[in-house]
Amino acid sequence: MKDNPYLFWGLAIILMLSATALFAPLISPFDPSSIDSQGLLMAPCARHPLGTDGLGRDLLSRMIYGARISLSVGIIAVGISILLGLILGSCAGFYGRIADALIMRFADIMLCFPTFFLILAVIAVVEPSIYNIMIVIGLTSWMGPARLIRGEILSLKEREFIQAERALGASDARIIIRHLVPNAVGPVLVNATLGIAGAILLESSLSFLGLGVQPPVPSWGNILIESKSTLGIAWWITVFPGLAILITILGFNFIAEGLKKIIG
Amino acid sequence: MILEAVDISKKFPVEKGMFGPASARTVALDRVNFRLMEFTTLGIVGESGSGKTTLARVLLGLIPADSGTIRFNDAFISDFRKDVQIIFQNPYNSLDPKMRIKDALYEPLIIHSVCPRREMRGKASELLRIVGLDDAAMERYPSQFSGGQRQRICIARALACGPKLLVLDEPISSLDLTIQAKLLDLFVELKEKFRLTYIFISHNLSVIRHIADTVLVMKHGRVVEHAAAHDLFERPAAEYTRQLLEAAR
Amino acid sequence: MSPLLEVKGLKVDFHLENRIVHAVEGVDLQVRRNETVVLAGESGSGKTITTLALTRILPAPARIVAGQVLLEGRDMLALEEKKLYSIRGGVIAYIFQEPASFLNPVLTIGEQIVEAVIWHQRLGRQEAQDQGRELLRQVRIAEADRVFNSFPHQLSGGMNQRAFIAMALACKPSLLIADEPTTSLDVTIEAEILKLLTELKEKVGFSLLFITHNLAIARKISQRIYVMYRGRVVENGLTEDIFKDPKHFHTRELIAAYHKIGKL
Repeated sequence: MKDNPYLFWGLAIILMLSATALFAPLISPFDPSSIDSQGLLMAPCARHPLGTDGLGRDLLSRMIYGARISLSVGIIAVGISILLGLILGSCAGFYGRIADALIMRFADIMLCFPTFFLILAVIAVVEPSIYNIMIVIGLTSWMGPARLIRGEILSLKEREFIQAERALGASDARIIIRHLVPNAVGPVLVNATLGIAGAILLESSLSFLGLGVQPPVPSWGNILIESKSTLGIAWWITVFPGLAILITILGFNFIAEGLKKIIG
Repeated sequence: MILEAVDISKKFPVEKGMFGPASARTVALDRVNFRLMEFTTLGIVGESGSGKTTLARVLLGLIPADSGTIRFNDAFISDFRKDVQIIFQNPYNSLDPKMRIKDALYEPLIIHSVCPRREMRGKASELLRIVGLDDAAMERYPSQFSGGQRQRICIARALACGPKLLVLDEPISSLDLTIQAKLLDLFVELKEKFRLTYIFISHNLSVIRHIADTVLVMKHGRVVEHAAAHDLFERPAAEYTRQLLEAAR
Repeated sequence: MSPLLEVKGLKVDFHLENRIVHAVEGVDLQVRRNETVVLAGESGSGKTITTLALTRILPAPARIVAGQVLLEGRDMLALEEKKLYSIRGGVIAYIFQEPASFLNPVLTIGEQIVEAVIWHQRLGRQEAQDQGRELLRQVRIAEADRVFNSFPHQLSGGMNQRAFIAMALACKPSLLIADEPTTSLDVTIEAEILKLLTELKEKVGFSLLFITHNLAIARKISQRIYVMYRGRVVENGLTEDIFKDPKHFHTRELIAAYHKIGKL
């Protein structure tokens, strides 16, 4: 830990944010949707450390609850994409030939569409709930992990310890799950932490366009969109959620950097 | 007889750039025939490109032959994957770097349901003792061992499911000569102890002389000479065998 | 006459993250002109590190902590880095176990030899090319012109080693250090390369310091042997004497292995 400051600070940031999200009801000073009758658009003060929004809701409380949404969207969306990437990538790499050609061409086709517009198209059809957002982001970002895994497995499967496993009579599934994936997972982990940052950003962008998590459920993205109309008079509603996104992404990037160093 | 190989042939396509047809094929094995008697050691000698490694992998079923048949005698080889095992040349590459030694040894025990889970630790520790390592090895990773020690671990793993036939593909040639000598003694000892049959592949003729009962000399995928070890070293019949012996003197 | 190379009390440490490993612990060594000396020992005994220290081309964590390396009377360890450039390759040349990995894969053999000739002999391009072809003929490459225009991956291991030897000779070295140059080669090729080195040594006139774990080679080519064990020279003497009457137990181990499987 001492000789890997990136990992240390990254983990510190993300663990703190996760704890905040987890214990939101205990930490947040107010209910995120309760309206303070004393004032709308109050600047940061003792009672409201980050001020209030246009409806008089406590910004700090909303951001604490928003952390739940943003982090879980990031982690679950990337979880889905990694799982898909692992399955498809290892099948492509391990079985080669037709499986490889089919899966990788499909990935290429998916990569031809800009992810963001793909998501916009899907959201136009399905209802933009938080779960749909997670699934859609996951379904449209497995190609990177799949390519990575495939490449790793292509080189690993020629190694002699895999041949030795075969000679021992291990099944394909056993070889893939017990030997290939654990050895290929390092670079994917780095990719995943960066992916989480990307997914959080994506959710924020979608929410900003009104296609993400729907109010009154607070997410950092939709807090930001609400700040649009009051930008000139209430800077805090824009600045704090923006900072929160920035710090989270920084945290995940630090972890990725730290992991890279460990993996070598 | 434990195994009979009849007319085994194998060709590999030569990569011809991205768009060219893969019409050219190099011959790796050209009608290879031999018989292997139980509890003996068949030495296979040849230089790189002679097809000896391809032959090992074909025998193990790791790559398919183009034609020919391999017959195992059911009296000895009933469950192929359990009864026939292989040791590879490069011990640095033959163990999963992410697995502790004990887990590597549990693998064959689990795959072939050799013993119940609670007995596995005892079995693994016994295997390590057989190959001259102690229990301290169990919790470590392959990277913490020298080449010779790793090869001993590979041997323990291969022995785990009680094989009858071991294919040894240059099992000692990447090691120091002193370590080679020690491992060779281990192979001889294990053969007696477990009544094993060996196919021992090497380019080192003195190693083959030391361990083999019969010898197959290969060149460009063909068997150029097949004789009892003693005869082969005293009275080589093929010109190529004489050349090899001459170079090794 | 003073020896070509004299090493006195050489010590090399490896500074690893959490500890210091003494790789070479006081090595004394002499190589006379036109002599073949074998440095024998197991892997990890410090043979390679000793020879790399001679021209100070050690890998990063290794440091020379004590000793003298006198080459034709000059102390190599006291020389400034710049002066070493012309000595490396020019006076002391190396050949290694895996020639293919020491050759540049994107340049032809010819280009690499010509580069060496130009750098060390200050010749014009045309002259250098002629000399390059001549060098390839000198190392008994039958189709010198074809090999001259080939890339390393198009040639066999033995052919690459010959080409590498030609390159080493391009600089007319006084001392050729051969680090297990035949270990990865077939027996017939090994015999040819050993013969070639012995012939070239007589014809061109250089000293040969040959590293090996196989005393069979030592018996074939060398006049004297140094046996290394755990960073120290534990025994040295005339090759015949060592075989007749080995003193140290490790020398006896090496000789026992030789009698068992090193010879027919």
